[in-house]
Amino acid sequence: MSAALQIRSLSLDMGSDNRVLLDDVSLEVAAGETVGIVGESGSGKSLTALSVLQLLPGAQMRIVDGSSIRLQERELIGATGIELERLRGARVAIVFQEPMTALNPVRSIGSQLCEVIERHAGLVGAAARERAHELLRDVRIVDPERVFDSYPHQLSGGMRQRVLIAMAFSSEPALLIADEATTALDVTVQAQILELLKALVRDRGIACLMISHDLAVVRQSCDRVYVMHRGRVVESGSSREVIENPRHPYTQSLLASLPALRPAREVTTNTSGCVLEVESLSVRHYRTGRRRSHPASQLTAVEDVSLELRTGETLALVGESGCGKSSLLAAIAGLVPSEGVLRFAGHAGRPAPGFVQMVFQDPLGSLNPQWPAWRIVSEPAAVQARLSRRACRELTVALFDKVGLEPAAIDRLPREFSGGQRQRLAIARALSVGPKLVLLDEPTSALDVSIQAQIIDLLLDLQRRERLAYLFVSHDFAVVRQIADRIAVMRRGCIVESGPAGEVLDHPCHAYTRELLAAVPRI
Amino acid sequence: MKSAILHPGGGQRALEALRQGARIPELAIGGSVFVVLLLLAVFGDLVQTHDPVKSDLTRRFLGIGEGGHWLGTDHMGRDVWSRVVAGLQWSMACAFAANIINLLIGTALGLAAAEREGTLRNFARQVTDALQAFPSLIAAIVVVVLVGQGFVPLVLTLGLLSWPIFMRVTHAEASSLYTRDYVKAANIAGVGRVRIMLGHIVPGLRASLVSVFALHFAALLIAESALSFLGIGAPLGVPTWGNMLAESRQYVLIEPRLLLVPASAIILTVIAANLFGDGLGIHARRGRRAGDR
Repeated sequence: MSAALQIRSLSLDMGSDNRVLLDDVSLEVAAGETVGIVGESGSGKSLTALSVLQLLPGAQMRIVDGSSIRLQERELIGATGIELERLRGARVAIVFQEPMTALNPVRSIGSQLCEVIERHAGLVGAAARERAHELLRDVRIVDPERVFDSYPHQLSGGMRQRVLIAMAFSSEPALLIADEATTALDVTVQAQILELLKALVRDRGIACLMISHDLAVVRQSCDRVYVMHRGRVVESGSSREVIENPRHPYTQSLLASLPALRPAREVTTNTSGCVLEVESLSVRHYRTGRRRSHPASQLTAVEDVSLELRTGETLALVGESGCGKSSLLAAIAGLVPSEGVLRFAGHAGRPAPGFVQMVFQDPLGSLNPQWPAWRIVSEPAAVQARLSRRACRELTVALFDKVGLEPAAIDRLPREFSGGQRQRLAIARALSVGPKLVLLDEPTSALDVSIQAQIIDLLLDLQRRERLAYLFVSHDFAVVRQIADRIAVMRRGCIVESGPAGEVLDHPCHAYTRELLAAVPRI
Repeated sequence: MKSAILHPGGGQRALEALRQGARIPELAIGGSVFVVLLLLAVFGDLVQTHDPVKSDLTRRFLGIGEGGHWLGTDHMGRDVWSRVVAGLQWSMACAFAANIINLLIGTALGLAAAEREGTLRNFARQVTDALQAFPSLIAAIVVVVLVGQGFVPLVLTLGLLSWPIFMRVTHAEASSLYTRDYVKAANIAGVGRVRIMLGHIVPGLRASLVSVFALHFAALLIAESALSFLGIGAPLGVPTWGNMLAESRQYVLIEPRLLLVPASAIILTVIAANLFGDGLGIHARRGRRAGDR
């Protein structure tokens, strides 16, 4: 079997300061084969794929002499701009992570799809239309006529990703690059899309290069895998072999930090007092431009939810995007108005100052980019206790120590910290006022797995020491297993199932929970 | 060691920002020309060689450098260099004062509209729309004719009529800043509304507002010169660029210098202000991109 794509000792550096981005990367993808590249952010996995099309994101990046990229026996290094342009989209297609931004929001799916077909297949008018319908059926869209006339915002994330895959296949490419193509999707949708890609690749004999940070996804859908670390391929082999018997220490550490393979939390019965009681809480959003009494102006995000949380306990709220888990959190934090009863430590109404704190998903977005770390971390305390500048700085040093940050860094700006450190900053801020309840809104889902494991360890450690109660929102069952005492599964604004973590995960009662658990890719 | 952590040096960051700014050509060129013009305006009295309004009919139409007049004299025998400097002082002061009024009104309304939903926002938007739909130069002419001439009426007219751009920029930027997670975090921490606005929102606006301030400065300068040229801005006899242009019209064939000097002064100032504004915008965007990483 000859290789459709063959990369030989590819090296890439920043022309100016000779910083090496890729170092002697070699890989092969045969026709009909799916090959994964896994690695954490900054490992060079996306750069490797983009080098094939020579679409490098930095102007100064330079492919070092002696590198070779061959697509179906044709050398691409040194190809002219016109040759490369003919290649892109035609022989090589890419599916990106974010399906919304990859489609033009003001044009219908049909017109965008036909444009690609006209360009690559040379079909026009009714023929192009016919082909578009055929492609939409190929990606298992049941009603191609409706989707053809829809606009991107009218489709779900999974449907949009199907449309992008249809576009990618419109030119019968030899190589398909899927760059984190399912990362932004819910687990059930992810499972469907992976299944679809696998079938298309197999049936058409296309070479598929799949880039992912998720070892479980790679294990499930790739024949072979290359593990990248700091611009080098550190290990390669059949995906089963690499994941079951990793030889390189980096691969071993990557697997060890995988949430699914880490120990589950030991659940103890908790009889301490209630920190939070929620009774039949509803959150409604109103659309602007209509009267509030108008039935269509109202969107119920959370409906009649009740739950309780005790000191030192973690309750995980699990559900897919749009199920209302973030709205519920915002209502508890007092950020959005809600109906129903909220009791904090037995008292109805607003909590005492500093009782509730929150940690957000995007660590950078939740830190004011213009403030030095000490000002960010001490802000809640500064407001409540009217601390002086000096006291704020001293408090920050103490908190930095607690969350494992270097005290010398308190004058740095958020952008001068790494992703995991930023999340530590956000946790330090939450702790500055000695809260009893911390709301955690997907605090680990923007982080690499090894960092994820560190943050979870930190959270567990802090919980033990400070007797914190956590309300932990997540879509990731593997993370939930490590941190939760109890789990509540949400769907369409309601809690469909709740109970002790082990029971929900191992013996789910509700059909929806079973469906969610079945869709989780397994190692 | 610990005391070094608690007492940082703040000057280093400013120096680094200056060094990065110097790498943007728009900012370096526009900024330095603008600073020179500003210094000229502030210390104008020291560099004027003659009294800008004193006429001497025996020394009319002297050429460049003749009789100690660097840029010669005009049809009344007045020193052109001193008059250009006086015009710079007038224009700078007028555009600056009007711009400050614009900034205050526009930013306050924009912030209020971003913070408060409902009636206030709708009102602020509609006033802004109405004002922007109206050609502001025509409106200024009407107001100046009604109120009268002079520095204060001119500043107030320009100041009260051309703030919509500040309102729009502030509203758009502040609305997006209000949705940030760090504002939510401050909300949860019990930070008050005023403190959120002054601590989180206004500092985030600084970069764009400085840029708009410089760009709008150029627009105000042109508007001021146009009104003076039409004879309804600065009172007659006051040495401003608009008045100089208006007076030189009759002699344009005999002595084009009298037209070219104030015209070049306007062009130079406007280009400098525009480059400065563009450069500041680029600088701010680069900073933001660095922040996103």
